[in-house]
Amino acid sequence: MSTMPAAGDEPELLERFNARITSGDQIEAGEWMPAQYRFEAQRLIQMHANSEIMGALPEREWIPRAPTLARKMALTAKVQDEVGHGMLLYRVAETLGRPREEMYAELVEGRARFHNVFHYPADTWADVAIIQVFVDGAAMQTQGALRSCSYAPYSRVLKRICYEEDFHIQLGLDVWRALAEGTPAQRAMLQDALDRWWTPIIHFFGMPDKVSPHTETMLAWRLKVKSNEELRQQFLRRFVPIIFEYGLVVPDPGLRWVDAEQRYVYTEPDWDELKRVGRNGGPKSAERLALRQSFYRQHAWVREALSRWSTAA
Amino acid sequence: MEHRGVTPRPADVPWVRTLEAPDGVWAVFLQARRRDAHVYVGDVHAPDAEMALVLAKENYARRDPCVSLWVVPARAIRATAGDAAEMFEPATDKSYRFGGSYRQQQRVYRGGYHAAPTEDDR
Repeated sequence: MSTMPAAGDEPELLERFNARITSGDQIEAGEWMPAQYRFEAQRLIQMHANSEIMGALPEREWIPRAPTLARKMALTAKVQDEVGHGMLLYRVAETLGRPREEMYAELVEGRARFHNVFHYPADTWADVAIIQVFVDGAAMQTQGALRSCSYAPYSRVLKRICYEEDFHIQLGLDVWRALAEGTPAQRAMLQDALDRWWTPIIHFFGMPDKVSPHTETMLAWRLKVKSNEELRQQFLRRFVPIIFEYGLVVPDPGLRWVDAEQRYVYTEPDWDELKRVGRNGGPKSAERLALRQSFYRQHAWVREALSRWSTAA
Repeated sequence: MEHRGVTPRPADVPWVRTLEAPDGVWAVFLQARRRDAHVYVGDVHAPDAEMALVLAKENYARRDPCVSLWVVPARAIRATAGDAAEMFEPATDKSYRFGGSYRQQQRVYRGGYHAAPTEDDR
């Protein structure tokens, strides 16, 4: 293992910790862990929590405009799931030593990061369907792999999250079906949304990993289970056939399956865009953060009422 | 060891620990079907037990079956220390606690007089 003991990490404890993880064991909240492990795990889970909360926003915009009551109820349930995931994840991140309020303040003030896909607009009802299938489908690859991560409380929460994400994907595919079987205008809307979401989805998994001591440490500690490229390939294997099944066109003319390598080749996207978006420089970053801030202010009285609930009776 | 009521054990008992949690964190236990055991499913933040139950219902019981919820202040939970896990390892032969260790009578009674007597039968 390439980890150097940091100040305060006793070498014996570090050695035992590394041996436990290598043997497949998981670490529970409150157990000894090296400072660097705590830092990396906390950062990973906080980013995930932020993404759940921010991810609720683009879809929430469509609750009042959902085309039928059934779709409205299903979408509301999905948005509630996402916010619920945020709640579970902030609690897990909190077990690593940062108060929930502090993490939330960091998000609201625009100092924290959240996933690239939530910085883009959801212009049409078809965007909602694409998000439900692609964003949740992509998240499922990453989170599904992380179920075997080394931090037990995160691993438990991910099992629950993946179970609910599966409902989101099925719901999204049902909306795809309705649109794909619909009028030419509906089919065009679905294809248009697919075209606009393709690059953000390819970006979703991050740049192909460089071999770096940091990546090696993350893999050795099982805070990363599969490489970015492995997860992207896994996603493409599952979802490219679905694009064809629904009679849609893959937006990347360079995409092809290479049998000998058992992988998809795709046109290299503009990675600078991912970096820009990741630093809250995406088309909707400012607007969504402003919305999150205004909700935070508007709902101050709810938090106040909750915290005084016990003394009010 | 003597254990009176719910008095917290002194901190220097090496195998007893308190679960570290901020103020207002409640552990949630869910019973999926009547007569099943309540199982720990996660936490909620709440100012009192009533609000903790409301939030537990919204967070842990909105889809799958649930007939009863318990909430417990997370800090009130006392746990065995992780390092003390070896105390659950059977230190000696525990076969005398299992039914499978007592099959000799079956050979005697079901096998009839064909069964050869063993050391235990004498």
